[in-house]
Amino acid sequence: MSYNVFLCGVGGQGLVLLTSVIGSACAKSGLKAVTGEMYGLSQRSGSVFVHLRIGDDAYSPLIPYGSADVLLSLESIEALRYLEFLKKSGIILLNDRIVHPPIETSKLVTDRTANYVAIEEIVARLQSWPANIALIKALDLAKQAGNALTENSVFLGCLSAIKAFPVEENAIVESIVEAVPKKTVEQNLSAFKLGKKAAFDGLCKNVECRE
Amino acid sequence: MVLENLVLQENKKVFLLCNEAIVRGALEADVKVVAFYPGAPASEILDTFSEAAGSFDYRMEISTNEKVALEVCAGASFAGLRSLTAMKSVGTNVAADTLFTLGYTGVQGGLVMIIADDPHAHSSQTEQDGRFFAPASYIPMLEPATPQEAKDMTKKAFEISEKFRVPVIIRTVTRVNHQSGVVQLDRMERKPFARVKWVDVKQRFYTLGEIARQNKLKMLERTAALRAEFEQSNFNVVTEVGADVGIVTSSVSYLYVLEALKMLNQVSKVNLLKIGTSYPLPEKTVASFIQKLKKVIVVEELSPFLEKEVYVIAKKVKPDLEIFGKLSGVFSEAWEYNPNIVAKALASVLSLPSPQFEEFIDEARKLRTIIPDRFPTFCAGCPHRATFVALNQAFRIQKAKGKSHFFASDIGCYSMWVFPPIAEPDSSLCMGASVGLANGLSYSIEERPVAVVGDSTFYHAAIPAIIDAVHNGNKFTLIILDNSVTAMTGQQPNPSTTNLAAGKLGKQVSIESICRAIGLEFVETVDSYDVKNNVDVFSRALEFDGVAAVISRRECALYHDRNKRRKGEPIVPLRVDKEVCKRPYTCMRTFYCPAYELDEDRQPRISQELCDGCSVCAELCPLGSVKRKEAGP
Repeated sequence: MSYNVFLCGVGGQGLVLLTSVIGSACAKSGLKAVTGEMYGLSQRSGSVFVHLRIGDDAYSPLIPYGSADVLLSLESIEALRYLEFLKKSGIILLNDRIVHPPIETSKLVTDRTANYVAIEEIVARLQSWPANIALIKALDLAKQAGNALTENSVFLGCLSAIKAFPVEENAIVESIVEAVPKKTVEQNLSAFKLGKKAAFDGLCKNVECRE
Repeated sequence: MVLENLVLQENKKVFLLCNEAIVRGALEADVKVVAFYPGAPASEILDTFSEAAGSFDYRMEISTNEKVALEVCAGASFAGLRSLTAMKSVGTNVAADTLFTLGYTGVQGGLVMIIADDPHAHSSQTEQDGRFFAPASYIPMLEPATPQEAKDMTKKAFEISEKFRVPVIIRTVTRVNHQSGVVQLDRMERKPFARVKWVDVKQRFYTLGEIARQNKLKMLERTAALRAEFEQSNFNVVTEVGADVGIVTSSVSYLYVLEALKMLNQVSKVNLLKIGTSYPLPEKTVASFIQKLKKVIVVEELSPFLEKEVYVIAKKVKPDLEIFGKLSGVFSEAWEYNPNIVAKALASVLSLPSPQFEEFIDEARKLRTIIPDRFPTFCAGCPHRATFVALNQAFRIQKAKGKSHFFASDIGCYSMWVFPPIAEPDSSLCMGASVGLANGLSYSIEERPVAVVGDSTFYHAAIPAIIDAVHNGNKFTLIILDNSVTAMTGQQPNPSTTNLAAGKLGKQVSIESICRAIGLEFVETVDSYDVKNNVDVFSRALEFDGVAAVISRRECALYHDRNKRRKGEPIVPLRVDKEVCKRPYTCMRTFYCPAYELDEDRQPRISQELCDGCSVCAELCPLGSVKRKEAGP
């Protein structure tokens, strides 16, 4: 069986590097991994996503609908955009950050009764899928780790908290060390630990987790 | 991390993007000359070669267009060196003249050409199916499905090219180019780069009239020999389980088929033929596969390329074979596939219950009604946005005078003018076409034609159309957006600066000098950020009696900011002074910067993470409420 993670966010959030860290950890651990990545035109503040699949029988670079074990969203709106890929009762690692696109803001300007979409509405809709959601304050945790740019390591920690995620923690940590600038290694590892704890706290009631 | 993997000598397993795997395959094959014009989804091939150039001794250039890039490779190949180029689907149209002729002349050193198609038009103007270039030019074509296969095929393609003295096309699609996977590397054995003496390797590479007629016969013989060779190729994989139903497939569709069979519990219950050598098609392999079947399903994206071949072969060897595909209606010629689309089609032919996935899509669609679209847009600080604001104001001034225009956009970051909330152009075709169109429009419409091209597009394909305009006395306004790099595809250097690939330096080619040399009498250069001045310049350019060129120049903001960060220079964002702002929303209505949002008081707020401090919005604000630093929290 393959383990499927759908990652999404907004262009510029570092999805490609995040994917590459997990992929390299797979290569080290002798696991088969395949991804389907979408960027390029979508890089300019557009919506970006990566299909990541781990396992011997993961063939297609695209995850079939309703087959992702985890939906990892670096931005809240984007999680709702790709929900059809998530299994029923799957896991959502949701960054509590919203980046409002200019098209939404310009609507608020022309229609003074219109409002921005709120994170509570997004979470409620995601929950009705149904899904097990860990709301991750990634930027706060990254800052706590000493570097606001370590949000992605927070999320790698989150993934490692999930017992069914098939990549060994050691391999992920090793890949992080190789991928990030030398002087930020400690901050990234600290962000990893904080992320792991946050996901554990958010998910452990309903999902088997690793401490 | 990628570079470390690419230079590895030993037979290790590493995680690579397919485009990186192609580079590794070429390096293992000892490629000596590479040339590219960037284009999605192939750009990372260029970028990876550029990054790795310091570790190897191949010669590399970013060419002015795909035709030149292919000719650079052909020149190296004529001299006996191995060469590689890669281009996006529509880039092949530009290179096609050279490609077709190389089919006749043949080559000497291995010449491999990657054609990266884009089913679904993710980052292209069309979904064109580049496979047809192969039979049309009698040039062999391989189609990989995975990064591993892409590496192996690239390496093998050089051998095929030299054995048959013909270029070899490797045709990919976005879902292959942008697929990553674990790749088993082979040993890397490279010889030092050395020029050759032409007299030592001299051969004849021309084709015309009687020689072309003789070349055609040789080309037909070569194609027959290639077909025979491909009958033995490991890239065609036959899996027979004794079923009377079989599937013929290629490229990424093969992976969707494997996934779909899993979803339908049909693994090892149907016969499979995975084609890797798509042209010339190994007809005997296909014939022997279909002879054992009652039904065959052909799974391929876009045109029924393989499917029609299967019809032709079946007519000879199995006339009563039932063939399912696009012509039978189970598949569409539109858009890319995925495992669910393929599973549904296979289920219909195999009379199995169709796996339900529409309900997932419907349910998710209902839940996402509250979220806004997120179209790609100009980055914070993008000079194109500032140019666009000034140009729109100039258009409004013209409109007040009762004068209108036809606005021809072109290919580059500025293509994003077609996405809301900024939707303005009347046309956008292909590289450089805006200028050609402006020539035709200047004969045909009463209004003023306005053509826009970027710096890279100017060098790539716009210059002949400008010469055409001057020579024929046509009249239009030409706006050249010079942001110093080919920004859309990842900020590759082009002749507008002295930068070359791999961090080397060359000579700048002045856009102004070219325009003046062609004979344009109105050539003015402005700073894209200087909106107030530019409204005036654009207005004059719109009224000029002839071709008026305005070069709007300012470095790409992404590129500029990245360089700043590298040098440790600060990026100082702006803030809105809440005391001063009276919410006229001029910023939002005219500027649409992604760094802007509304705060809880519905006052504009500037994201301190996204703002790059370009200050154009500060200039536009009628109240002067956008300030640096000193403004309140």
